[in-house]
Formats: sequence, C-alpha cells, structure tokens
Amino acid sequence: MPTEYLVIGGAVLVALLVIIMLFKAVWRVAEPNEALIISGLGARGKTELTDSLGFKIVTGKGTSVLPGFQTARRLRLDSRAANLQVSCVTQQGIPVVVKGVVIYKVGDDLHSIANAARRFLDQQDSMNGAIHELFTGHLRSIIGNLTVEDLILNRERLTGETRASAADEMIKLGLIVDSLQIQEIDDETGYITNLGKPHAARIAASARIAEAQRDQEATEAEQIAAANKASAWRDSQIKQAAYQAEIDEAQARSRQAGPLSEASARQEVVVQETRAAELEAALAEQRLQAQVRKPADARAYETVTLSQAERDARIAQAEAEARETELRATAQASQVKQAAAAEAESVRLRGLAAAEATKATGLGDAEAAKARGLAAAEAAQAQGLAEAEAARAKGLAEAEAIRARAQALAENQEAVIAQQLAENWPKIVESGAKAFGNVDHMVVLNGAQGIEEMLAKALTLGGTGLGLARSLLNGATPNGTAANGTGPETNGKAVDPAP
Amino acid sequence: MVGKQGRVTGKIGPGLVGEVMVAVRGGVEAFYAHATVPDEEIPTGSIVIVVDYFPPRTVYVARALV
Repeated sequence: MPTEYLVIGGAVLVALLVIIMLFKAVWRVAEPNEALIISGLGARGKTELTDSLGFKIVTGKGTSVLPGFQTARRLRLDSRAANLQVSCVTQQGIPVVVKGVVIYKVGDDLHSIANAARRFLDQQDSMNGAIHELFTGHLRSIIGNLTVEDLILNRERLTGETRASAADEMIKLGLIVDSLQIQEIDDETGYITNLGKPHAARIAASARIAEAQRDQEATEAEQIAAANKASAWRDSQIKQAAYQAEIDEAQARSRQAGPLSEASARQEVVVQETRAAELEAALAEQRLQAQVRKPADARAYETVTLSQAERDARIAQAEAEARETELRATAQASQVKQAAAAEAESVRLRGLAAAEATKATGLGDAEAAKARGLAAAEAAQAQGLAEAEAARAKGLAEAEAIRARAQALAENQEAVIAQQLAENWPKIVESGAKAFGNVDHMVVLNGAQGIEEMLAKALTLGGTGLGLARSLLNGATPNGTAANGTGPETNGKAVDPAP
Repeated sequence: MVGKQGRVTGKIGPGLVGEVMVAVRGGVEAFYAHATVPDEEIPTGSIVIVVDYFPPRTVYVARALV
C-alpha cells in the first residue's frame, strides 16, 4: 500500500514539475522597464490604427510564447545617457568647447516602442554611439543659435532649441529626450572669465567700501567712546580734586585757627606798638626840630653869612693889595728907568772926560807904560791865571745862586734882570772902563771916535750880558758862568772916572 | 489623449516646438506641442487641453477655459 502511495505521489510530483517546467518555458513576463517584442505565429499587434505592426508588443504583463512558433525579444525602456563633446561657435562667433550629456529613453507608447524596436532591437548597446553622432550635429546648430550668456543662464532657450532641432528625428527613432545638460564650457578666449570680472570687481569694491565704512564707523564709535570715557574720567577727577581741595582747605583752616587767632592778636599788639612808636618818633622829631635843627640852621646861616662877608672883605683887600703892588712896581720900574738913564748919561759924560784926560796923559806915559806894561803883563799873566781859577770857582758858586734866583724869579724876569742890570750898571761901566786903566800907553788911531768905539764895545759887553742872561733864562740851561763881570779888579789901577 | 488637460512646460509659439506634460498611461509624459490657433503664444505654466494627437508624441493644444 505505502509503495502505491509513494508511486502515486512521485508521479504526481513529476507531473507537477513537468507542468511547471512547461509553464516556465511558455510564459514570459515583461518587467516594468522593458517591452516584450513577440513575433511569429499569430503575433499581431492590436493597435488603435488599422494596419498591423507585424509583431506584438507587451509591456507590464505576462504572455505565452509558443516555443518554436514564436520568439520573444526584450527591448529595454531604461533611460540612457550619452556624453557629448562638441567644438562649436556661439551666436557671437566665440569658439567654445561644450561638454554635455543627453539623457534619453525609448518612448513608452506603442508607436515609439515599435519605431525603436525596428531600429535598435539588435543593437541596443550601440544606441549611445548613434545618439552621440546625432546630438553632436544638433548641438552645433543649437549653440550657434545661442549666446554664451544664454548657454550659461537660459535653460528655457536651450531646451527650446533642443526640441526645435531634434524633435522630429527623435520621433523617427522612437526616442524621447528627457534632458539635455551642458556640463562644461571650455572657453579659449577667456570670454566667460571676463564676463564675470566687472561684477567681481564691483562686488570686491563694494566689499572694500563697506569694510572701510564699517571700520571707519567702528573706529569713530570707539574714539567717541574713548573720548566720552576720558571726559567722564576728567570730570570725576576735577570734582574729586575740588572736593579734596575743600577738605584740605577746611582742615588747614581748622589747623591754622589757633595760630591765626594768636597771630591776629599779636598783630593787634604790633599795630598798637607801631602806633606808639610812630607817636614817639613824631615826638622826637618835633623835639629835634625845636631843639637842634632850628638853632643849627640859625648858626649855619650865621656862619655862612659871616664867612661870606669875611671872604668878600679878603677879596677886596687882596684886590687892593694887588693894585697897590702893581702901581708900586710900575713906579719903581719908571724910577729905575730914569735912574738908569741918568746914570748912563753921567757915565757917558764921565767916560768922555776920562777919555780926554787919558788921551792927554796917555801920550806922555805911553813909553813908561810900555816898559812897565811889559813887566806888569808878566805879573798880570801869572796873577791872572791864579785869579782865573778863583773866578771860575766863584763863578760856579754864583751860577748856582743865579740859577736858584732865576727859578724863583722866573715870573718876573724882565723886571729882575733890568733891576739887576740897573743896580750893577755902575760896576759894569766901571769894569768896562777898567780895561783902559791897565793900559799905560794906548795908541788910538782915529781919535776921540776910536775911544768912544772902544768904550761902546766894552759897554756892549755888559749889554750882551743882558741878552745872554735872557737866553739862559729862556733856555733854562745856565752854563754856570756869570754873564757879566762882577766885582772890581783888585790888580791894576782903578780908573777914576773923571767927571 | 484628445480631451486630456496638460500643463505647458515649454513655451508654445510660432516657430517654436512647445512641450506639454500630460497624464497618460498611469504616468506623466511630455509631448511636443503646437498651438491649434496659428500664431498663438501660450506661455509656460498655462493649462491647455489636447485638441488633436499625432502619434507618437505630437499634440495640438488650445488654452483651457479654466
């Protein structure tokens, strides 16, 4: 029994397996992303259109495929991507290299699937190449209708142009363009870069401006804040200092109150003392005025007046004496002058008389005198030498005296000399005449006139004495020799002046 | 297809091939669109009605009286 069951079960299982395998071999299911293209016996596509496709298209469901009589092929309805790279020229004539991608698929309606199945069923993998070639051409025309700005910005135009140029051909191929994307635009001329530069520069400039403005505002705000802080600090410091000053002042005042009151009291005392001292000083001054100064003034006045009177008296007296002296001097001078004149006159007359006498006696005595004179000359020579020595010594002494006298009487030279001459005049004449006294025998060649000449020469010797004295006084270099002969000769006879 | 409403996704006008999205076969598909009235311009976003259908993917549309 169990064996029968086993046999029956096994047979059933085998039958089931056979049925499953048969079903698997016959039934085909189209997945959502593919279409089954079934051709062969009885495979007629039921479309809305009248004419048949010649094959059956199944999407989204299963169908039986009779092995041997029919074939089922799968057409994938996935979207596909074809990469594009095109060198082309834009509307403005700018050459660009465009990289893009086109995403396409087989259309979902039966017409598109039929078209695509007829064209691509056996070469589904080479679809991309065909599409690439197709779209390369189309993209050239599309981009030739666009500007670079449109290419970048205007998707509407790009898709519009794509549809306009490629729609009919895609319909022929049974394909739908889902999307055409431009991925990259290689721009050899730098057009796109330059397109962005003005904007970039403007943005950079506005950024810098904004930054600078914000920086300025921030700095201003900071500075204002700092200034406000500083002014607040200053005000606070000023107020604090003022209060501190008031405090210090009050403290100082309180500290100084004692000394101040003391000082003010002392000041009162000093003021009173000063008043007292002033009064005393005034009193002393009054007393001084009354007791000392007034009498002193009186005495001084008296003294001054007396001395003035005395001085006037002395001046008057001196003037009178001077006048008197002057008058006396003139009187004496005139007196001397007259005496001298008289003396001279008498000497001349005496001289004349003596000459006469001498002439008379001389002739007689000439012989005797000659002999005596020779002896006397010998003696006189010896004596003269001795006397010359004495006279030189005496003269030196007298020169001293004369120099002293000359100095003393320098003021009144003329008068003194004249006076001296006048006083000594008789001695002078006498000495002048004495030369002839020593002559025993004298021969006068031209008579009385000769004697006069001789006398005159002798006398002029005295006269030259006056001139010499004058020159000596003026030169103030006395030679120590007496200018005029002084003293009567001791030897020889004195000539008696015969009147 | 005829009588269905669609939305214009590509401008329809003279010399242009427009695009409309129409709900069909449980999905939404894009069809090439032309205006029924010559020289009519239908901007993007307008609602249109399919007046005529030329297989596989071309429709003639008119503005829907919404």
